[in-house]
Amino acid sequence: MTAALRDDFIPDAEPPALVVDELTTQIRVGRTWYDAVRGISFAVRPRETLALVGESGCGKSLTALSVMGLLPAGVGRVSGGRIVVDGVDMTAADEPTRESMRGDRIGMIFQEPMTSLNPVLPIGFQVAESLIQHRGLSKKAALNRARELLELVRVPAAASRLDAYPHQFSGGMRQRVMIALALACDPKVLIADEPTTALDVTIQAQVLALMADVQKREGLALLLITHNLGVVASVADRVMVMYGGDVVESGPVRAFFARPSHPYSEALLAAMPRIDGDTPLQPIAGQVPTLTQMPTGCRFATRCALRHDRCAELPPLTPVGDDPNHLVRCWARMSP
Amino acid sequence: MTATPLLDIRDLRKIYKTRRGWPIPKTALVRALDGVSFTVGRGEALGVVGESGCGKSTVARVALRLQEADGGAVQFDGTDVLAAGKTDLRTLRRRMQMVFQDPASSLDGRQRIIDALGEPLRVHGIASGAAVKPAVVRLLDEVGLPPSAVDRYPHEFSGGQRQRIGIARALALGPDLIFADEPVSALDVSVQAQILKLLETLRRERNLAFVFISHDLGVVRYFCQRVVVMYLGRVVETGPVPEIFVDPLHPYTRLLKLSSPEPDPARAVAMAFQEGEPPSPVDPPSGCHFHPRCPIAVDRCRTEAPALRELRTGRHAACHLAT
Repeated sequence: MTAALRDDFIPDAEPPALVVDELTTQIRVGRTWYDAVRGISFAVRPRETLALVGESGCGKSLTALSVMGLLPAGVGRVSGGRIVVDGVDMTAADEPTRESMRGDRIGMIFQEPMTSLNPVLPIGFQVAESLIQHRGLSKKAALNRARELLELVRVPAAASRLDAYPHQFSGGMRQRVMIALALACDPKVLIADEPTTALDVTIQAQVLALMADVQKREGLALLLITHNLGVVASVADRVMVMYGGDVVESGPVRAFFARPSHPYSEALLAAMPRIDGDTPLQPIAGQVPTLTQMPTGCRFATRCALRHDRCAELPPLTPVGDDPNHLVRCWARMSP
Repeated sequence: MTATPLLDIRDLRKIYKTRRGWPIPKTALVRALDGVSFTVGRGEALGVVGESGCGKSTVARVALRLQEADGGAVQFDGTDVLAAGKTDLRTLRRRMQMVFQDPASSLDGRQRIIDALGEPLRVHGIASGAAVKPAVVRLLDEVGLPPSAVDRYPHEFSGGQRQRIGIARALALGPDLIFADEPVSALDVSVQAQILKLLETLRRERNLAFVFISHDLGVVRYFCQRVVVMYLGRVVETGPVPEIFVDPLHPYTRLLKLSSPEPDPARAVAMAFQEGEPPSPVDPPSGCHFHPRCPIAVDRCRTEAPALRELRTGRHAACHLAT
């Protein structure tokens, strides 16, 4: 637990709703299992938003799937560490227990709502279903609650749209329905995996505002997975940057953007074209190595300008300057 | 912009018919392009921005004659594109090419790269026989791929590399203008930056013009010299970069800018700026299409569609209230 506790900077009496401690997730390629997430630790408190950022293959979605217990059987497995949701150790629990946690204590929102919504069932029923399943409500009571939830996520004329089907909604409205669905059983933890990536920017702004509002009102711990550092700056309290399955930097959002310290974090920011200034664009040379070709030690070393001999050994997470909450995993950026 | 533009689009119209409703379907008209005009100069990158359904992809398809227009005019280097016959169209297609968002779906999975890139060279008589391979290798080199790529299949490449192949294919016939439809939207940031740099180099070295369709204002600001902002089939603002983003004249351009997240916690997106959905193009609002979402709309906006007016030198906006 020590590693997880080190992240906790908020002087808050409330215990974290989600604790991930030294989680290692493996993926099978051929007959060999490779570490795709390597010993990551974090905790998210009620009302707090932790953003997990990185590019394709960095392990951010695998982390979410591990927490949900939704890794594809035979291909992915949690090989080490603990995941504690609302006091329940998910890693030690049996499948029925995990099943009862999903959709009840943990809600999840995916990028493409159409793949999670059933096209042949009315949306009112889909929202009500988990209440019937997890809470044992009658159909009538569940539909009533579904209407309240759709009103909470500001679906216009919610009562008359309980009978509507997913295809009758726009992308933004579908994502609102997904949020209502995720919130149905008052979860403690909400995991949102690229929830606004498929949406237009103005709709993205609305959905982010809605999520933030609902989160604060319902006291949710939100784990937001995104590749968009602009979204992180707008809504997150803390950020963790991942590369090749490692956390390379983590810290409060303001401290991170004021002083991005890992060469990969800096490179990501420099590769982003800005609307508000003519910053020269700096691509990151090369590409993320595949799982089977990961370098030992620091996995960013093959693309890093600051690389030296010591990078063959994985650096620990150490504080940036004298900020104990802002951590970086880099030999070159370690405080002397 | 040069005196005579390379591409001149005037009052372009495209109407789709859709049948919806049950049990008795009704035919509805969707005005995907409702009088769109703009020009592109030689070697100029023009950004076309707007949200889903605003007609930005339709402009490219109609200008390339992949779909027929329902009105208006398209001139390419003095040739009337909409009236061109088969032979003229063939010549035009050599000079106007397209790059798509998802190169995986525009490349044949069973075709090796040498065949994918060699085919247009052979068909248009640019290279044949033993000359094809060196020509393909040169194209690959120009987009930063090794000669060994020729014998490989599309699935062996990463997303960024596949987009490079898509670009090489567009370059094969030596075009003057490329329509690029969200060419970097599906890529990770670091790869996106590589592709943008490549396109920028090609634009300068080949004096290539681009119609660059994107929803990402940051990308457009980096790559383009001028911008056209579209909303529900109409142009609402045009102007040069960076002025159009520094000081947007149309309330919709302002909304786009405010909604675009920047990596700066001091500049969080104005998230609750407007409730309300973009209206459906099937049934657009009366008057100015944007009025239901506009924070400054007045009665006139509900009845009378504003025309594009020049408000500053080279800057036009279609808003009754913009000054």
